[in-house]
Amino acid sequence: MATKAKARKHAKSAARVAGAATTTADKLYRTSAVYKSPRKISVANLPSSYARADLEFIGVDHSGASYEARVYLNNPSADADTQAVEANGYAGSYYIFGHGGCFGDVGHCELNQTRDEFDPRPSSPLEPIKKVVVATDALKKATAQSSEISVTVVPIIMSWTEKTEMTDIMKFDHINLVTYD
Amino acid sequence: MASLIVRKNSDSLNNAELTALRAGYAKAQTIMDNRGYNHFAGLHGIPNWYCWHHSHKQGSTVNANLFLPWHRAYLLYFERAMRDQSPAIPKVGLPWWDWTSSNSHSVGVPHAFTVATAGGQPNPLFKAKIVAPTSTPPINRFTRRFPGNPAQLPTAASVTALLNLTQFNDFTNQLENIHDFVHGWTGGNNGSIGGDMGSLGTAAWDPIFWSHHCNIDRLWYLWQLKHGVNDISPALLPMVLQPFGLKVQDVLSINALGYEYAVSFNRL
Repeated sequence: MATKAKARKHAKSAARVAGAATTTADKLYRTSAVYKSPRKISVANLPSSYARADLEFIGVDHSGASYEARVYLNNPSADADTQAVEANGYAGSYYIFGHGGCFGDVGHCELNQTRDEFDPRPSSPLEPIKKVVVATDALKKATAQSSEISVTVVPIIMSWTEKTEMTDIMKFDHINLVTYD
Repeated sequence: MASLIVRKNSDSLNNAELTALRAGYAKAQTIMDNRGYNHFAGLHGIPNWYCWHHSHKQGSTVNANLFLPWHRAYLLYFERAMRDQSPAIPKVGLPWWDWTSSNSHSVGVPHAFTVATAGGQPNPLFKAKIVAPTSTPPINRFTRRFPGNPAQLPTAASVTALLNLTQFNDFTNQLENIHDFVHGWTGGNNGSIGGDMGSLGTAAWDPIFWSHHCNIDRLWYLWQLKHGVNDISPALLPMVLQPFGLKVQDVLSINALGYEYAVSFNRL
């Protein structure tokens, strides 16, 4: 996980997207493999004050099911039954509107890495994406208690097709922690 | 002089407007050529995959998020096609689904879209037939929808916070995240399979898709009122919104495109 500072942002984020947290009891939601940061991450080099802190999920796959990714700080045991509340280290969620699997012929959904800047076609709609969770309050709370944090991401599958893989739906390359003044 | 098309809240349509809207959708759903519902639904995902979500490159090195401009052009073309098939009076615009309203937080998807029949006929806002013979496997069935708990829908407070964001990229990314949630919520699942709104490939066949995106477009319009129509990166302006003959710079002003959003409208 990288920590970096970026240009000023003048407003805080929209708060939690959903009006009420999804729970597994609400609907027939399914769970999938949980991400746990492999080690505690030092945040000793964070600035002393900041107006906003974003957790950026880089290289997120969105080819499969639609899901909510609940992000927790310093709660490595969080799972689908953990209440998405601040007391449990809940920092926010990002949501994936998935493609639902491949409905083309063989090779249709393989990413073409050879396109160049003169190629007039849009790049593949399946290129991995960036998702952001604004985690200002949760990060401040976590860093007030420790100079190290861990990140746990719990996927809750909302919708899928007969073409989607279900056991390990949440894939991303890495996480950035970005603060703004 | 042509007047602007008025897009109203779906809960505010009177009986005549709702009947006209249904007539347009119903007729379009019987047309299989490029005037019809199936053609337009097939531009988004299966089988044509033109839709723009998140950031991509197109003919340059600019990493562009054209989620809002692309869907604005898409709605415009669809709306014109539906109006071609609807009665002359009243001519209605696409209605928007305000998923933050107290009614939505009570019943979820608006009533107009959830009744199976209307006027003794199948309700064309309830479901539509997906005809995609070139997909693998071929699809030929009606849409399905398993929405979640209405209390989970986005709140007015979250939209207020969204509209206060000052940077276009920040705004569009966070609005798209809310959009993503509503897709998954509306599609939902029945324990063994998901609903069509929950998968990009089939979402546009569900008739609620257009009103969900109409609300997304309305929120962009409201944000533009606060922060300026031209508050968007100049690098995005010449980019083409395929397959429509419009560029980003062509879709910034909804009045220039011939429509507006109204809380109420009455022809006297």
